[in-house]
Amino acid sequence: MLQGVGAAGRGDRPGGGSGLAARAKLFASFRGGGREVDARRAAPATLALFLAPALLLYGGFTVYPVLRTFYNSLHTIKPHNVEEFVGLANFAALLHADPVFWKAVGNTVIFTAVATVADVLGGLLLALALFSRAPLAPLLRVVWFTPVLMSYVVVGIIWVWIYDYDWGLANMILRWLHLGAFEQSWLGDPHTALWSVMATHIWKWLGFNMIIFLAALYALPSEVLGAAELDNCGWLAKLVYIIIPMLRPTILNLTVLSFIGKMMIFDLVWIMTGGGPLWSTETVSTYVYKRAFDWNTFDLGYPSAIAVLWFAIILAFVVVMTRLLRQRDRIEF
Amino acid sequence: MKIRLIPHCLAATLMATALATSVPNLAKAEDVTLTVWTHEADEDAKVAFRELAARNLEKAHPGVTVKITWYEKNPLLAALKTALPAGQGPDVLYVEPDWTEYVDAGYLEPLDDLVNWNNIEPWARQVWVHNGKTYGVPQEAYTNEIYYNKDLLKKLGVELPANAQFTQEQFLDLVKKAKAAGITPIAQGVGDRPFPGAYILGEALLRKLGKEDYRKLWTGQLSFEDPRVVDVFKWVKELVDAGAYPKNFMTLKLGESHYYFYTKPGALMLPMGSWYTGRAFVPVEKGGQPPDFPLGIMQFPAMDGGACNQCKTSAIGASFAINAASKHKKIAAEFLDAMSTPEMGKRWIETIYLQTGIKADVKQFSGPHAAYFTELMERQKGADYFIGGPRDLTQGQCKDSFAQVMNSAFPGGLLSVDEAVKMMNTACYKG
Repeated sequence: MLQGVGAAGRGDRPGGGSGLAARAKLFASFRGGGREVDARRAAPATLALFLAPALLLYGGFTVYPVLRTFYNSLHTIKPHNVEEFVGLANFAALLHADPVFWKAVGNTVIFTAVATVADVLGGLLLALALFSRAPLAPLLRVVWFTPVLMSYVVVGIIWVWIYDYDWGLANMILRWLHLGAFEQSWLGDPHTALWSVMATHIWKWLGFNMIIFLAALYALPSEVLGAAELDNCGWLAKLVYIIIPMLRPTILNLTVLSFIGKMMIFDLVWIMTGGGPLWSTETVSTYVYKRAFDWNTFDLGYPSAIAVLWFAIILAFVVVMTRLLRQRDRIEF
Repeated sequence: MKIRLIPHCLAATLMATALATSVPNLAKAEDVTLTVWTHEADEDAKVAFRELAARNLEKAHPGVTVKITWYEKNPLLAALKTALPAGQGPDVLYVEPDWTEYVDAGYLEPLDDLVNWNNIEPWARQVWVHNGKTYGVPQEAYTNEIYYNKDLLKKLGVELPANAQFTQEQFLDLVKKAKAAGITPIAQGVGDRPFPGAYILGEALLRKLGKEDYRKLWTGQLSFEDPRVVDVFKWVKELVDAGAYPKNFMTLKLGESHYYFYTKPGALMLPMGSWYTGRAFVPVEKGGQPPDFPLGIMQFPAMDGGACNQCKTSAIGASFAINAASKHKKIAAEFLDAMSTPEMGKRWIETIYLQTGIKADVKQFSGPHAAYFTELMERQKGADYFIGGPRDLTQGQCKDSFAQVMNSAFPGGLLSVDEAVKMMNTACYKG
């Protein structure tokens, strides 16, 4: 085996001739008992054996739950596997007689729209700051990226404390700045609760976008940036006309990923507010959970209908965005 | 060649593994592992109590192993709601009386002929009777009380009436006095629970309406626009506007509200179920009440024209049931009995400092908190109990609105009386 790798490695050296062929051979084959065996020519039974674990896991934990959710959405699920077909009744009730659902939709849309833009733009700005070698850049990179490594539970608990009216850091700073009039029960007021949760979410994810943008910035062709500098192109013009257009695929990828993640936001909201006060931070995902597990019922039909409808909406948005992206670039996500 | 051999090798390995694991199983075919899923992982005294019962059962039945899995409440609910419909789940499960869906769905085994009911208080058993059958063994019982700081009350120059019950006017004055003195009147928070913010409002409604109409209110047969209900909302609104609750009411968690009350910054009162002791009577370094804290207990205020000012809520909390799909129902019932002996009842009171549905002679109670328990029993004299709380009687949208409106937004000062009444009526009233 070692000999095989060694042989492939030698073939892959620059100027080594058939480098690609050697690499292909390395990945597509292995040496056993002194005889090379091509995995692509393996018997169907062998392929099935190797694929089966992954396919079983995928089928059991992804495909089946998805199909089951679709099925459930058309039924009222009663205890002991009794299912009553109700057609589109769950969807009708959802659309016409459930004000909390619409409140949750509104909150999720606001959260998604604002936080996606803030995440992407904020990440870009931080990356540009590091790319331009701002003072203390190595330290700032660590500081800005650290929240990404923290769990939602930890982040949520920390920020609930920061937002506390009496002993929270946010109000403490306001008092210190003699701005006590702006003190708030940040998570306790329906006017500020959603925005407060959103600020926490952005704080957590800004570093992730920053790192992706930073990698993209370092991958930009230096000759293009150098040519712009030779042409006396100012930093703003360079940013607007050169850097951002070249970052377009990255911006669009991050936008789509961010959009999908925020449309499904659950954990942070659940930890910080549980959807309150007065449903002002209720999101579609928290509402699905409440309907499934908090409503003294075993009926998974109605919550499944919410999940299916929301899935369709997210899918529609992603398809539209993907088509828009295909105008010029391929999306990679 | 070797690749073709792989399936055979794997199959052989799997067979060998299966044989290897099945041999000990055959050898111990008579052994039973009783699985128990329970909440209250964070209450050391309750953990010790139930683990002791498990060990006692194991001693009495060699070959039986009791495996208790400890959960917090929400994960337990999520686990049960997926496991039981799948025909899985533990043999014994923690339940609370408002989890009626488990009874309705037939996931709980009727216990009438399985459990020794001689050790259980009949009124406590009654909570678990549905359609003539009993589905849970009540373990924890509690009453709703207002805990207060005796020194702060004295400092305000206010004396507790002989019956320990202020009138609604006196109570409002007390709140205003405390606020004027820079003392938080009521240390309450709803940051992690769907009920504490409604203690004052709920108990006031019970006293104003009396037991029958109070039940009707929660079962959708009495409108929230009833003038008596509106009067109570108006009075509570006066309390809220007088600054009864802390500014961080909306985010203050249950455990934090205890600490707020007896340690920092300190408050005059804390309305709470008598399971207050589960958090308060632990060492100070674990967030417990200081040993010298001047703890007192008062009744919820009497309402003007109240139909039942001697009424108070008594409820059953932690209870245990047997999974109808369990293959070990008999031994499961013995575990329930092992937790419910008079000795265990006494132990419950002496280590958890809380009432119980288990028959236990409280006259024999002694210990560092004997005075507290004496005062608690004093507050029960002449009480006319309403068994169960709003969360036991409501479901779905009404239950959710109770949490959002009566527990949180209304006492949090976010809603007017009219708005709160309208929202509750829309969600709950079936008339």
